[in-house]
Amino acid sequence: MEVIEKIEKLKKERKQIIESFGAKPIENTYIDREVKKMKEIYHTVITDIYEETKDVKTFTLTADKTSDTPVLAPFKAGQYITIHLTIDDAPVTRAYSLSSSPTLANKDIYKITIKRVENGLVSNYMLDNMNVGDKLDVSMPAGDFGYNPIKDEENVIAIAGGSGITPFMSLAYAILEGIYSCSLTVFYSIKTYEDIIFKREIEEINKKKKNVKFIVTLTREEKEGYQNGHISKEMLEPYIKEFNTVLMCGPKELYRSMNEILNEFNIPRKSVHYENFFVEYKPNEKITYKLKVIMKDKVEEITCNNDETLLVAMERAGIAAPSLCRVGECGYCRSVLLEGKVKMIGASLKKAEAENDYIHPCVSFPDSDIVLRLDI
Amino acid sequence: MNYDYIIVGAGMGGLSAGLNLAFNHKKVLILEKNSLPGGFVTTFKRGRFEFDTSLYDLMDYGRDNHVGSLQRLFKKYNIELDPLLIPYNIRIKSLDDNFEEVIKGEIDDWVLRLEEMQSGSMSTFRSLLPVLKEIHEALNALRKNRKNIEKDFPNFIKYLDKNAYEALLDLNIPDKTIHVLGYIWIEIGSPLNKLSFIDFAECMYKYIFKRPVALTEKSIDLSLKLAKRYEELGGKIHYRSCVSEIKDIDGKKEVILTDGTTYKAKEVICNLSERYVFKNLIKENHSFANQKENARTLSMNGLVIYLGLNKSYQDLKLYNYRYYQFQNLNSATNIKSMKKFSHHTIEAIVPNIVNESCSPKNTTILVLKTLYMSDVWNNVNKTNYYQTKEMLANELIEEFENAFNIDIKEYIEEMEIATPFTFEKYTNSINGNIFGYMRLGYDNSIHRLISYEEERIPHLSFVGSSSLFGSGVDNAFYSGYYITEKLLEEERRND
Repeated sequence: MEVIEKIEKLKKERKQIIESFGAKPIENTYIDREVKKMKEIYHTVITDIYEETKDVKTFTLTADKTSDTPVLAPFKAGQYITIHLTIDDAPVTRAYSLSSSPTLANKDIYKITIKRVENGLVSNYMLDNMNVGDKLDVSMPAGDFGYNPIKDEENVIAIAGGSGITPFMSLAYAILEGIYSCSLTVFYSIKTYEDIIFKREIEEINKKKKNVKFIVTLTREEKEGYQNGHISKEMLEPYIKEFNTVLMCGPKELYRSMNEILNEFNIPRKSVHYENFFVEYKPNEKITYKLKVIMKDKVEEITCNNDETLLVAMERAGIAAPSLCRVGECGYCRSVLLEGKVKMIGASLKKAEAENDYIHPCVSFPDSDIVLRLDI
Repeated sequence: MNYDYIIVGAGMGGLSAGLNLAFNHKKVLILEKNSLPGGFVTTFKRGRFEFDTSLYDLMDYGRDNHVGSLQRLFKKYNIELDPLLIPYNIRIKSLDDNFEEVIKGEIDDWVLRLEEMQSGSMSTFRSLLPVLKEIHEALNALRKNRKNIEKDFPNFIKYLDKNAYEALLDLNIPDKTIHVLGYIWIEIGSPLNKLSFIDFAECMYKYIFKRPVALTEKSIDLSLKLAKRYEELGGKIHYRSCVSEIKDIDGKKEVILTDGTTYKAKEVICNLSERYVFKNLIKENHSFANQKENARTLSMNGLVIYLGLNKSYQDLKLYNYRYYQFQNLNSATNIKSMKKFSHHTIEAIVPNIVNESCSPKNTTILVLKTLYMSDVWNNVNKTNYYQTKEMLANELIEEFENAFNIDIKEYIEEMEIATPFTFEKYTNSINGNIFGYMRLGYDNSIHRLISYEEERIPHLSFVGSSSLFGSGVDNAFYSGYYITEKLLEEERRND
């Protein structure tokens, strides 16, 4: 560089200024320290198991104070966590809505409520094999489902089918504890009296006669003090006001029938929110394909049935593929489809992801032999 | 695994460095902790909306007859863009000064409007333009190590040690005009009385002559395009690869991931701030690096609200591309007020004005942003995080509605709020800052450039928003090119 007096002067001044400062190492800022506490995985201990019904249990998870994650992250009512297990040497995950009050997270406690699914790998394992004192790794809370005090209305109608009640339990507590000032009416559709989850808590909340109310309807049984049959227009009508926000969590059929009813009330699209937690796909005939997984520094060749997702196939083969929501929404598992065809059910892909052959393996079923690039 | 170069981070600086090295047939590995490239230049989906996190104006791209350096580099690597020209369409409001203006049309309309506001503006503004050009050319000459800078660019030398405010006064720009023109400080994050005139002039030059453009696609499309081209040129990129340590072993650099995987290279280039790297990745004590970090100031962090509205921008009466509200036209006064949550600086952008297709038909994306300085977030913890961010977002939306008399709230279909915690988590930007280090005193980009050789650490370089040229995609991308050119030159010299 040509020597220019003024430049040399500026350089010298800069050097002098820097050297006038001490060499003590830079400390983390407050925000740096808080961000360092956020982890992909939190280590917890099961501190209580409560049997809600004969096939539903609520697990209380408390931060493992002896681990490197002694504090748990906060969450918003409606969010879920993903639990990590190793069953028969295979790493597996499942996402469950948090059913406890968000304020319990301040005490480093989360609760999740798990229903036994017929032939379900994880639910059966959790219900039959896990005991108080056992350790459980979970993800940080995630998901956008829930109430938003800025854009949502004061009158909130929640529609729950079966175990879809769990996020609304958390929301009910959030409202009762003053986090939100809206009123909430939960319509809870369940087969029989014996199947009602959170029976005790629902009764207690209804007794308070505050701005949270549960209306339970039994679809396969008639019982005094309970509504009977599927959630209907007539059931909702008394609770619909001029402006409403509707939150739904349950099976797809419930969403379909509810949408017809909601249309009759002229509730705009922006005021209806759904939680997605089912991926259903049944191929006509069962075929087993080859799945080649190209990782950063190794390659594995496994098989994948066309009635299971690529993620499940990888887990079964012991590949620790990343996963979070398991319904195609969050993008955490995204991988590149190098060869082959898949059927993707309900993946929320960015436009550029679709154009660049990205898929979400958690909702991708093989339609041919597959070559997948997965950076792990 | 051995490489010539390892790049930590696939942000704009890292991708740019990777592209130039792969273009020059080097064996390069980029390690990126996220599952997609881009850093700040990315998107996220909420319902039927896909929001761009940060990139709205691509500076220094230019047009056919005024090609910017960014476009030149993209052409070099055969990266095609189909960009949209961003018109001047800015509404600026200042509370204390009782000032509200729309800057609209072409540069000539602008100049006339300035003249109307303050007579004498027109001629002095015209006389400013050749100075901006001269400084731009001098900077190019300096970066290319040309001779005769002192002789050829007297104005560059004259203003080298002046701040923007002093220099504009010296150039006879009326006080009020300075502050109106100077609204651009908010895109740099430094007050006019501390920002080097050279930095200001370069930014202004790019803004006027190399018009900014908007992408037709989403910003993640650009990031993926750059990453794809890099891979086509032979570069390797590993996602989900978070670096935990950089070591010196037997004259080589060792880069270790959180899962223990180790890679080796001759050179490491970090698309991270020096502060992050020396604090978190390098164990040995570097006293000059520490002194430098103690001497520097981090830029502001911010709160950004992404709104998906269920009406067209015409129906919502959102007619301007950008909206700014300041407490005061004086940038130094505004920055002082950012030490509290309650202040009145708002920046808003309506991308649909330039790109109708950025959201579904009859919907609009509106992004609101405000900035904070120092330790304003220190009382926000896990017990009040969500409530605080919802409260701040609500205040910001209402302030915008009142400032510009536009109803927003009832049309919100989707929304997301990003805080400094969010930005730091995804990008490792210290304190969640947005503009890298503040360009203040002796740490303007011109000072970093002239001291680059002297401050250089062997086999460890820095690119991106926290490096030489400061924040912005254009600067981050150019830093990747500039630094790798220096490294390649060094390699050639040593051979």
